[in-house]
Amino acid sequence: MAFEMGPETRQVQGMWDISTYRYRMEGGGVRLLTEAMKEKRIKGVRCNECGMVYVPGPTYCRKCFVDIDEVVEVEDRGTVMSYCVELADVRGNPRETPLISAMIELDGADSWFVGAVVGIEPEEASVGMRVKAVWAENPVGSLSDIEYFEVLEE
Amino acid sequence: MRNVAIIGVGYTPVFVSKRKDVNIVEMISESVGAALNNTGLTPDDIQAVTYGNMQTFEGVNLPHLWTSDHMRALNKPTIRISTGGTTGMSTLQAAYYYVASGMYDLVMAVTWEKQSEGDSQVGLSGIVVPEAMTMVQHGMDLFSGKGMGFGGGGSTGAASYQAMSYLHHSGASPEHIDKMAALERSNAALNPYAHLRKKTTVEDVQATPMVAFPLRFGHTCPTSDGATTAIVASEEMVNKLTDGNVAWIVGLGSATSDPCTANFLEGQITDPAEQMPAKIASEKAYKMAGIEDPGRELDMCEMYNGFAHQSLMWLEKLGVCKEGEAHKMLDAGALNIEGEMPTNASGGVFSTNAIGASAMNRPTECALQIMRKIEGGHQIPKKIKKALSHGWGGMFQYVTVMVLADEPVSS
Repeated sequence: MAFEMGPETRQVQGMWDISTYRYRMEGGGVRLLTEAMKEKRIKGVRCNECGMVYVPGPTYCRKCFVDIDEVVEVEDRGTVMSYCVELADVRGNPRETPLISAMIELDGADSWFVGAVVGIEPEEASVGMRVKAVWAENPVGSLSDIEYFEVLEE
Repeated sequence: MRNVAIIGVGYTPVFVSKRKDVNIVEMISESVGAALNNTGLTPDDIQAVTYGNMQTFEGVNLPHLWTSDHMRALNKPTIRISTGGTTGMSTLQAAYYYVASGMYDLVMAVTWEKQSEGDSQVGLSGIVVPEAMTMVQHGMDLFSGKGMGFGGGGSTGAASYQAMSYLHHSGASPEHIDKMAALERSNAALNPYAHLRKKTTVEDVQATPMVAFPLRFGHTCPTSDGATTAIVASEEMVNKLTDGNVAWIVGLGSATSDPCTANFLEGQITDPAEQMPAKIASEKAYKMAGIEDPGRELDMCEMYNGFAHQSLMWLEKLGVCKEGEAHKMLDAGALNIEGEMPTNASGGVFSTNAIGASAMNRPTECALQIMRKIEGGHQIPKKIKKALSHGWGGMFQYVTVMVLADEPVSS
């Protein structure tokens, strides 16, 4: 006795407009980071209690539950902790060339920085590979001042 | 605490991509009606109702208020729960707390999702919109991957980082994900309450397009419409109302970590494949259930797997096997319906995903397997004495666990 769907009911269209919301964001850690990126440097915030270094830096250690504000500089090179190869963009449209998107632990940081790894075939990518940021010629203080990461031969 | 059992389950007649013939309240009503039918109870018998679905996925608010009559909750205590992917099990756990505490003896847990009426991608985006917009203002580009942009293909993009980390640390290969996917889809073909019901081979899975390597389209769950209701009872009520063929809730746990995906503004600090909450929640549940060696003592598992690699990952994170062993169990046939540790005999979330009900369908599947009331062809042949069910969700960080058994734990 297979289930049979009944007749269709009425459908009406509706919309929630997200642009009517007013979100208030802290964002100090991102400002710190983007200011530093003007000089091709990367800055985060360190917790005095546990030593965690966050990039971008929060004002609160998420492990110790205390306020933190010690600014530290980290390296623009690091280790790929995980990655994926995107065949489609965020809207699902196919990409012309696959994009290696990596989670990178920058040397001196404990959080993971996201970046595209360029210059190798997807088949050659691996967890644990070392990468280095390639900076824009004229950085303007934007997260996009890092153009991409390239594989580092050490 | 008092012993508590699931005495009956009610599903909507089907779980499909679009129920165009019913609206939300009618769909919920089908499942509640089925649960009452299956137990021979009337709405008057039920003392309290817990209720769960996702927030914003259908673009509606406070549904527990305007569905109160269709869920037969008039004049009764009602609480709504929304913990992301784990919603279904959290809702059942709340019903358990009501009865275990001695507050009530018969409680109904109602869970549902009607994804065809909304947009899950918009619902998911709502979790991170303020953070993501802040990052976009500071130069993040979601399309080119520049400026810490990430997440190709929505949640599949995020899950692919987890899958890659899992493969790296476990030694499993992408082909094991294909194999697990084929196994579960083929199980789903036997389950009348599954959504994607097609006997599937590894080659079928491998023929689907890659979304974000290592995850293919054939590794991802559908979006479904459906509802599930479970009725839980105290031991006194079990003795009074049933023939004793019930499924006892003998252990439960839940835990959260920090959000381990899409933590744009404060940096991601936890590997999405680490899943410490699974260890914490399962250890708590095993201790309650008197289980010392889960791999030997459990007879079946129902894992929450939005993506096919997760069934393997959870077996390890929940201590059913050692890290790096799950894919070997798969290769040895141990995860088949006839195997030593049948895993997702139902087809899993991976084959049926009415999200609010998805983490409920894990323990209800275990309960019906224990009670040998499985409809369709996926009844596990061996006797099920102890079964593990699991829920997962949030920003990759929240885990629920429930152990069901054919007997209560003697106190």
